[in-house]
This record gives sequence, structure tokens and C-alpha cells, in this order.
Amino acid sequence: MSSNKHRSKKVILIISILLAIIFLAPFYLVLTNSFKTQQGIFLNVMRLPFGDFFNPQNYIEAFKQLNYIRSFLNSLFITVFSTIIIIIFSSMAAWMLVRTKTKLSTFLFFLFTSAMLIPFQSVMLPLVNIMGRLGLLNPIGLIFMYLGFGSSLSIILYHGFVKNIPIELEEAATIDGCSPIQIFLYIIFPLLKPITVTVSILNVMWIWNDFLLPQLVINKPQWHTIPLKMFYFFGQYSRRWDLALAGLVISMIPIITFYFIVQKHIIKGITQGSIK
Amino acid sequence: MAGLSLKNIYKIYPGDVTAVKDFNLEIKDKEFIVLVGPSGCGKSTTLRMIAGLEEITKGELFIEDRIVNEVAPKDRDIAMVFQNYALYPHMTVYDNMAFGLKLRKTPKAEIHRRVSEAAKILDIEELLERKPKALSGGQRQRVALGRAIVREPKVFLMDEPLSNLDAKLRVLMRTEISKLHYKLQTTFIYVTHDQTEAMTMGDRIVVMKDGLIQQVDTPLNLYNSPVNVFVAGFIGSPQMNFITGQIEATGDSTFFVFDNYRILLTPEKSKVLKDKGYVNKEVVMGIRPEDIHDEESIIEKYTGCVVDGNIEVSELMGAEVYLYLKIGEHNITARVGSNSKSDPNTITKLAFDPNKIHMFDKKSELAIF
Repeated sequence: MSSNKHRSKKVILIISILLAIIFLAPFYLVLTNSFKTQQGIFLNVMRLPFGDFFNPQNYIEAFKQLNYIRSFLNSLFITVFSTIIIIIFSSMAAWMLVRTKTKLSTFLFFLFTSAMLIPFQSVMLPLVNIMGRLGLLNPIGLIFMYLGFGSSLSIILYHGFVKNIPIELEEAATIDGCSPIQIFLYIIFPLLKPITVTVSILNVMWIWNDFLLPQLVINKPQWHTIPLKMFYFFGQYSRRWDLALAGLVISMIPIITFYFIVQKHIIKGITQGSIK
Repeated sequence: MAGLSLKNIYKIYPGDVTAVKDFNLEIKDKEFIVLVGPSGCGKSTTLRMIAGLEEITKGELFIEDRIVNEVAPKDRDIAMVFQNYALYPHMTVYDNMAFGLKLRKTPKAEIHRRVSEAAKILDIEELLERKPKALSGGQRQRVALGRAIVREPKVFLMDEPLSNLDAKLRVLMRTEISKLHYKLQTTFIYVTHDQTEAMTMGDRIVVMKDGLIQQVDTPLNLYNSPVNVFVAGFIGSPQMNFITGQIEATGDSTFFVFDNYRILLTPEKSKVLKDKGYVNKEVVMGIRPEDIHDEESIIEKYTGCVVDGNIEVSELMGAEVYLYLKIGEHNITARVGSNSKSDPNTITKLAFDPNKIHMFDKKSELAIF
């Protein structure tokens, strides 16, 4: 009995190690090769970056070519503002959709849910066309579009969470003297913290890494985000893998840092479904 | 501190569902009023209309001579305690209590004074820094009361505040709330479905059923002189026994006849029945379990009111025994002394106290006496 248990534990451990290797292998390749010369990468992609091929200059070069500070700030501006706007609008919308029990609110909620089923590629060309005519092919327009694309999932997540908040809390707050907006700010929004963290992580990850939408919307190079700048390492005649990989590492740092800071909240957001 | 006046209040929900019908009540200043009734009788709706959480469909609500139908809850000068406490989970006990005052821009020192004072009254001074999650049910209930007290409202509204507590704590908090009422000298309106709470706490009780007031009276009057079968059955535990039978008159005597038994009625009660024309008509007799006796002396005293009962179950409550009997075709509960004979499946002699008998019209269910 106990030897069986012991054996199954070992099997699980071996499988876990194999999975870890599979998941970490790309990181290994990116990280080691980012310190190699272009030639070193092509000669032996698995080798550690020591000896002749060691070239930390990649980072300095990538930093310069990416115009890192500028593109980092662009990415940051777009990601932060999009996420904040998504959080504000979808939490308020979800709250109202839960508390208003009319046919219209059911229909609106259904509309948000069904919007998730429409693939982005099928709407991107008409969208860019319309936004172009409105003169919104710029970061502000991009943030607006992210609000549209991001709010469906966020509203659904908030909706499920708000349903678990007892209405009596709002009634108590009403009697205490809160206006509806104060109820939202002082009572509802603080209680939504776990799900807000989840919503912000999902949106930050997606928006920070997004390539297609910014590519379509942002024409001016001074507004290019990190993923757009990365694209320039892959020109028509040359592919600068050495610089691209170094660029990848420095572009990953902010998002990985963000993930580690908030990761303990992700689990809380998923498990802490109700407020009692 | 304020009196309330509810005049012809109606609550009609969409779809023509009437929750409260023509509710009229004058509540005096400093009075402890209890609204009691089975679930769905409209008692909570009435309380919520007073609080301003539900709109009044028709009628007028006055708090201290001011009509408040259109006044926002925060401006009605009321405080409410909810069944599930409704404490803000993300705030400490102190912040929960101070929240309403902060919104009203009360000076910090004053907030501190009021919260400390309320915490002292409720004995929760050590809990002020805790979050509601870290409190027991009883402690949460105290905090909810504290949140109401600090506001120093004119009227306290309580919506089944004790129903989430265990039996022992409920009894304890019941007395605490009564003490609080005495201490604060404020108008309390309390909703419950538990008739024991109503009887022990209220100055006056409003019994409701299907959105209508059945009777408004003091606990003792309600117990001794219920106006109809519903109130008689609802107030009192174990509940009043009801027996359907006929009134028969033989010479000067009047009897209540059921299942081969003839209960001799007192001359005063006989006169009322005769005057109202109930002779040879069917009526419902009501008798409370404690008015059915098995003591020899009482059986000898009321020989005209003796019946045989077959004990089906007996429950020893400590100082007394509840006997669940079959008398003729009727199931009857009697409350007798703990040293009574109470073996199941034995026949025992019992006497109804003729002075304590209630009679109700069979059709209208209204009390005859």
C-alpha cells in the first residue's frame, strides 16, 4: 500500500520535472542565446554563452535599437490606461447589470457574453476603417478599442462576483447615508478587489503583449510599443536573432515582475468566490 | 426619539401582488413595537417601507409629524439592523460603526466619543480593530447594533436580528436588546416571526397575516383575548388547541358538544353565546395547553368539563410535561406538572378550565369571547 503510494509519487515527480523542462526550455533558449553572437547562435543553439561567442553587447544594442525607454513608456501608457478604463467601466457595468433586474439588463449581459464569440480578425478591417475616418488611429483610439474588446470577459468575471455580494450591504450603506456612487466606491469596489486583480492581470498580459491591434492602429513610430519595435529586428533581408532575443529578455522583464508581484492574488481571486 | 404614524399604507408590486394592505398604526415615542407573523405576511416589507428601502405605493408615513414618503432613507433619521448583520467585510469594527458618521462629516473627536460609548454599552471594546470575519455570530450582532446606536437615530428598525443566532445566544441577545431599549429610550420597531421574541420584548405587538393587520395589542391582551383563530393559534407555545363542536342548551345550562363529550360552559359565557344566537350552531372552541389540567382537585372542581385523553407522546421539559393526546377525534396538547402520569398509550382524565375557554365563529373565525 505504502510502496504503491511511494511509487505513484515518484511517477508524478518525474512527469512534473519533464513538464517543467518543456515549459522552461524556451526561456533557456532565449536567455542563453541572447548573450551569444549571431554566429554563435547558428553554430550551436544549445550551448551556454561562454567563450568566443559570449556577447553581452547585444543588450546595449537592442536597448538602443528598440528605443527602449520610449517604447516601454508607450507600452506602459497604453496598458495602464486601457486596464484602468476596463476595470472602471466593467465593474460598474457588472454591478448595475446584477442589481437591475429588467429584460434590458438580461439582454445587455447576453450581448456582452456573445461578443466574446466574435473573432477579432473578422472585425479588425472594418474597425480600423471606421476608426480611421473618426481620426482615432492613435494611442487614445487604441485604448478605446481595448475597452471594447476587453470589457466582455471582464464584465462576465465581475458579474459572477457581484452576485455574491449581499444586497443588504448596499441597503445598510444607503441608510448610513451613501449615494449610489458612494456605495460603489466605498462598499462594492473594495469588495471586488480579488476579482479586480484577476481582471487586471488578464488585461495587462494581453494588452502588453498585443501586436496585431497596435500594428493596425498606430502609424507613427514615436508611438510604437515594445512588440511593434521588436518586429524591426526581422527585416526583409536580415534576421537579427542576437538582438531580437536580447530585446525579448528586456521586454519580458516588466511583465514577469508584474506577474510575480500579483501572483498570490490570482489564486485568491479564483478561490475567493464569495463574501460572507 | 419620535413617534410614527402609518396611514392607509399599501405596497403593491408589479403584477398586482399586494404585499401590504391598508396598514394603519400609531407608534408612540419610545415605544417598542414588534411586527410578527408567518413568512410572507408583509412585516419585513412594512419595515422596509419605514426605512425607505421600499417605495410606499399608497398611503402616508409620518415620522414625528413630518411626512417622509419621498424622503431618502438617510434623511429619515432611522437606523436599521439586518438579519444577516450586513457588516462591511472590508472594514474594521470601528470603521463599520463610524462609517455613517464619517459620511455625515461628523468631527473625528465626536465619532470617536460615540463609537467608544457604544462599544462600552455593547461590551465590544476589545473588538474594535477586528474585521467582521474574525467575529462570532453574537459579536457581529453586537457590532450591527453598535452601528445603529452611534447614529443616535430617532427610530431603530430591526429586521429579524436574532434569527441567525443559536438558541442560547438568541435568548441572551433578546434581553440585551430589551435592556438597550430601556437605556436608549428610543422608538424601536422590531420584526420577527418568532412569537416568543414578540411576547417577551414588545410593548405592543402587531400580528400580521397576508399583508393585513390582524390585531395590535399588548402581549398579555393578545394572549388572553385574541381576536381571531389565527392570532389565537399564532401567539403561545405550544399553540392553542382548537376543537370544532356544537353549542347545545339544556334548561339553564349550555354545553359545547364534540365527539361524545359535553363541556359545561360558565353562565357568563353561555349568556354571550345565547345572545349572539350560537345555540345549535357549530363553533370552534380554543383552549390553551396550560388550561387543560390533570390534577385531582381541579378535575373534582370542574366535573362538567372532564374528558378522557389517550396519551400518544409525552415530552418532559423539566419543570413540566407536554402531553400529546387524542381526545375523541381531536389531537390535543396539554401542559401539565412534571410529576403527572405521562406513560404513552394510557388513558388519563383531564379537565378544561371553563373560565379560560375561547370560542370562535366557525365561518368568520372571529372570536366570540
